Amino acid sequence: MRKLFLFGFIMLFSGCQKEKITFSENVSEAFYVDNAGASMRVLVEGNTTSNTFIIIIHGGPGASSYFYDTKYISRNIGDKYAVVYWDQRNAGASQGTSNGANLHLDQMVEDLKKVIEVLKFRYGQQISLFLVGHSFGGLLAIDFVTSSDYQNMVKGLINVDGSHDYPLNDTLTRQMLLNVGQYQVSKNRHVDKWQPIINYCIAHQGNFSFEESQQLESYATEAENYIDSIKQVSIVSEVFKYAITDKYPLSAMLSNLLYSEDSNFNKELAKTQFSSSLYKITIPVLVLWGKYDFTCPPALGEDFYDHIYSSDKRMIISPSSGHNIILQDKKLFCNEINAFVLGHK
Amino acid sequence: MLKTGIFILTLLYCYLCQAQNDSIIKTPDRHLNFKLSYNSSLIYPGISTGIEFPLSQVNVQRLKKQRYIKSFTKGRFIAGNLNWYHHPDFHDNLYLTAEWVMRRTKLNGFISEFSAGPGYSRTFIGGTTYKVDDSGNISVIKLAGYNYALITIGGGFGYDFSMKKQLPFSVVGKMNLISMFPYNSTIYFRPVLELGFRYMPGRVKRNLNMQ
Repeated sequence: MRKLFLFGFIMLFSGCQKEKITFSENVSEAFYVDNAGASMRVLVEGNTTSNTFIIIIHGGPGASSYFYDTKYISRNIGDKYAVVYWDQRNAGASQGTSNGANLHLDQMVEDLKKVIEVLKFRYGQQISLFLVGHSFGGLLAIDFVTSSDYQNMVKGLINVDGSHDYPLNDTLTRQMLLNVGQYQVSKNRHVDKWQPIINYCIAHQGNFSFEESQQLESYATEAENYIDSIKQVSIVSEVFKYAITDKYPLSAMLSNLLYSEDSNFNKELAKTQFSSSLYKITIPVLVLWGKYDFTCPPALGEDFYDHIYSSDKRMIISPSSGHNIILQDKKLFCNEINAFVLGHK
Repeated sequence: MLKTGIFILTLLYCYLCQAQNDSIIKTPDRHLNFKLSYNSSLIYPGISTGIEFPLSQVNVQRLKKQRYIKSFTKGRFIAGNLNWYHHPDFHDNLYLTAEWVMRRTKLNGFISEFSAGPGYSRTFIGGTTYKVDDSGNISVIKLAGYNYALITIGGGFGYDFSMKKQLPFSVVGKMNLISMFPYNSTIYFRPVLELGFRYMPGRVKRNLNMQ
């Protein structure tokens, strides 16, 4: 029995927190950044010898970086650069105790800054960093690069179906649901499914409440199922595919997601906009969007593209994607990111 | 007087009913049981060790449908357990639990049990944990992790070798659900599968006495 205890304690105290910093073409190592009551998981995968790190900022709030870590990305981006999967506070494998009061954008911007500082501490001050913000992660990335002089910490920003203005987002979502819905009905496609969405959009014309905003988001997600040219992907099947090999902490991910989705943070977000700060962005920017993204419509991407002051900017729209271009048009996603990073690292 | 009569008759009726259905023999057994289990969090490894203290052991013989007698032993225990599991890149969790255990053992050795109780958890984050201060200085937090309150609830089945073969062991498979809080201002649930054996030094002696 004593030997068993000894074995357990040796495993516990020597195994779980051993600092491991690897430079190779095929790295996979996780570490945590502790800040304001949260220990946030950071997984670095791919080619760290490239000295180029692409930080994926996941959506949500409360989703997880685990869903972005696919074999396709490992083989097509990770072979050239290091890909960094950061679980934001109250998301994925991030841990803490009573830290809900710190779940707000200012804190998350500070978290991201500290994640970047730790990456530079581990892999060298000379490394090149790029931000890839998807959906809510896009909003967070935009908040980051428009705060202080933080944009100088990174070489470029890639906005993937990301929102920069939630009230504008709601207006554009309603407009797109109405326009596309009416067109689909005129073509006699999924009429029974589109009609309630169209009716809702006609009945709710603007100045949306939080509940209306949530309903529009729900319809936006649903609407993707009624566009035949979109490549449909199932998040559930992705979870089954990677849950064991990637060691998902499933119940923690679920607890975090449910908490974040239900927190007051979402009510604050519904009023958040960075339209008036976009002029501050001068670093190179790549904008990747799905043609049938009802959640963050392409018009939102165009508004972002038009208002940033970057002289080096490019916008690509995938014809077969909705809100998840990373899974729905993975080839375009990887090719465009590789080309952008190669040109700016 | 009438009320007293009804009360006595009711007591008598209850007593008679019980006499017809349950034959209860209390047998004191104050030996500790020791447990060692593989404490897998489904696919992630771990260990659980524990000690059980019997509070009561009751042999029950119950007449079923006036045709046959069902016999089993009902045991109530207080158990203290030290548990650990390892979830790579997430955390190691070392947790202590104090459980109330209800166990039923049939004459053929088949065990069913239910347990619940509070506990305390200390997690150890599954990777080097860095702290960045306001000046940008970075340090590594030694043994980073969190303290949580914990509640466990579980049930399982097993086989008691002392019932037929006079061996002081039992094997048990049990599914526990642990909940830790406050975890990121919410509750963290985790199913934990326990597969192990118990050493019950008092069981053989007691069974021999019963014979």
